[in-house]
Amino acid sequence: MNSHNTGSLITSTVNNPERRTAIKQLAAFCGLALSANSLSLMADSFLMPLDKSRSKNSFLNKSQLALVRELGEIIIPTTETPGAIAAGVHDFISHQAAYCFSADEQQMLQAGLEKIASSANKLYGKDFLLCESAQQIELLTHMEQSKAGFTEDDRQFFKQLKALVVFGYYTSEIGATQELAYFPIPGGYKGSVKFATIGKAWALN
Amino acid sequence: MSKSIYITDTKETFDAIVVGSGVTGGWAAKELCEKGLKTLMVERGRPVEHRTDYVGEGVKPWDMPFRGKIEKAVVDEQYYIQKQNYAFNDATKHFYANDRDFPYSTPKEKPFSWIRGNQLGGKSLLWHRQSYRWSDLDFSANAQDGHGVDWPIRYKDIESWYDYVEHHVGISGSVENIAVLPDSKFLPPFEFNAVEKYLKSKIEKKYSDRKLIMGRCAHLSEPAKHHIEQGRYKCMARNECQKGCSFGAYFSTQSSTLPAALKTNNLSIATNSIVHSVIYDKNTNRATGVRVIDSETLEVREYFAKVIFLCASTLGTTQVMLNSVSETFPNGIANSSGALGHYLMDHLYGAGASGTMPGFEDEYYSGRRPTGVYMPRFKNVDKKDADYLRGYSFAGGASRESWGSFAYKDGFGADFKNAIKNAGAWKFSLRGSGEMLPRYENQVSLHPTKKDKWGMPQLHIVCDYSENDIKMLHDIADTAAEMLESAGMKDVSKYIEEWPPGLSIHEMGTARMGKDPKTSVLNGHNQCHDVPNLFVTDGACMSSSAWQNPSLTFMALTARACDYAVEQLKLGNI
Repeated sequence: MNSHNTGSLITSTVNNPERRTAIKQLAAFCGLALSANSLSLMADSFLMPLDKSRSKNSFLNKSQLALVRELGEIIIPTTETPGAIAAGVHDFISHQAAYCFSADEQQMLQAGLEKIASSANKLYGKDFLLCESAQQIELLTHMEQSKAGFTEDDRQFFKQLKALVVFGYYTSEIGATQELAYFPIPGGYKGSVKFATIGKAWALN
Repeated sequence: MSKSIYITDTKETFDAIVVGSGVTGGWAAKELCEKGLKTLMVERGRPVEHRTDYVGEGVKPWDMPFRGKIEKAVVDEQYYIQKQNYAFNDATKHFYANDRDFPYSTPKEKPFSWIRGNQLGGKSLLWHRQSYRWSDLDFSANAQDGHGVDWPIRYKDIESWYDYVEHHVGISGSVENIAVLPDSKFLPPFEFNAVEKYLKSKIEKKYSDRKLIMGRCAHLSEPAKHHIEQGRYKCMARNECQKGCSFGAYFSTQSSTLPAALKTNNLSIATNSIVHSVIYDKNTNRATGVRVIDSETLEVREYFAKVIFLCASTLGTTQVMLNSVSETFPNGIANSSGALGHYLMDHLYGAGASGTMPGFEDEYYSGRRPTGVYMPRFKNVDKKDADYLRGYSFAGGASRESWGSFAYKDGFGADFKNAIKNAGAWKFSLRGSGEMLPRYENQVSLHPTKKDKWGMPQLHIVCDYSENDIKMLHDIADTAAEMLESAGMKDVSKYIEEWPPGLSIHEMGTARMGKDPKTSVLNGHNQCHDVPNLFVTDGACMSSSAWQNPSLTFMALTARACDYAVEQLKLGNI
């Protein structure tokens, strides 16, 4: 980016109407009597990092994606709020794995999914997706506890998978705003509030 | 902000040049401009406009491509050191220097993590805002135990300057009357939560020499009138400061010192301008200006001024000084002592303890407090009560386990989901910040052959922990664990992590202050003994490291040195 003789230093003057509205709402929410100049300074020229130029690489193949979709929903099911499927956790995991995982981590994910798939066949003679719910839960519980033939490595894999599902769910719009309490601009810190007055855990920490 | 203050080529001679635009560069620019000096601030990185360029601020997690994480290829290639920093993520990475472009070397067995900014505002955009004064316990430490050289100042010399900078900055905290941690005129402190209140009373009852106080931080908990007039607003308790704050609620160059400097109409800024060296005139024994490499065109420029302030960050400043060689100063400008590059320090941050506080299930909090709690140093204060010299503070806090913590607990399904919704157990942790002794062998030098892509010699950094440091780290962990256990916490675990020097981001020293020009670079006014119109006021000037977060002290030293420099200019002495 050139910042020479013209003194042109603003990164962009893309006018983002969503950002403009958001800033105005933010100011109003906080009771801030921002001057028009301040508001336009805050709202204008605000480039959001939605990098649509990144190709939508998906690491998991079709059957792996279907398996992760199901595993996600078992881990974070639909309750009074939607679960992992609705929150797109499987797509998130596949995308995250493509860009953010090391080769080892990618390999571990594939191997772990393969272990689940082959264990289902071995234990119940069926595809994991076709097993009864009780069978699926039994298999994953044993895996998490490294019991009944599952190893410590299997347990570690399940923990990693669960961590991914949790991360993908609670940073999704559904997880953060429906299941938990989403409060982006608290306005200040209150040291003691009764949990019951909030009713659920904070999404942002 | 007026665009015409940005310059590249110029025939103008300035009254003052300030190298760097971070915590101290911004302060120097403000002070010198306000005292009537035509001042040029030279910044190696790109401009960053308050609000406009805070591209990561307010972006919802699900709108980020990787929910805040970063592509592995980018991290591995460009941020393999910066990624170690706690605040480094997809929404803040643009405020960190690119490791690929700014390489440095260390001995293989002595890693050093050099965390750096590379933009207008420097690390003032990234700092943790914790702000504590030193006392004479710290200023006299070198004289007392003989490590390092005696500071040429004491608390009484800097006290009014702490007052001065704190007034402008706005420091939230509470008056505590603790001798080793002098009070300020505070903005209201942030609140304790219920578990912290409980632990405070238990700990203070058991240990009469320990106080658990609210952290003192450069946040406008309640802005004063003059802060509002500066265009700054109340802290919204989002605790995402490193993304940039459009409320200007924490101190940064952008929110605080730059607007003040701009108001004077005395400020010019040259960005994308890497200072190669200070230009020295041996006939007058003065620094006359700086030589600059344009980071984008590689064009070389020179800027001239009557007085020069080096505020380029601890190692940035020393790198420039080492690279400023001349007949008079073959080992770096103002280095007749040979002390330049030596006595590098960082804080000991790798040790602490944490535990679970049973109960308090109906207690919660609202907002994300931008400070934790703090326990000032209590070891080796009135008596020697440890098997090492000097001491440490603790910082930490209590919070309820959130969804991130549940990821590795056992269980899954509806019960698991509901447990997350109902928030987890209360956890409390304390991490130490220990004073590292100044040692000659902890040093930086210019690499004999390696240069960066702009032709600047790379730094070679050699820094490790002494026996004193290791003993202190162990005591930090043991003491924290013992305290938590005694307060009734469960599952208390202590830790001493692999923590390379530098990772605390409190790197200090390498151009130290001292009384004797034979053993120090700077005098008691941050003025080079050898070159009277050259001043160094960033972390490089520090003769010892103490245990407090240092930026507030850097600000006070800067304001004081500017006052002295301007007075000396007026008297015709420099």
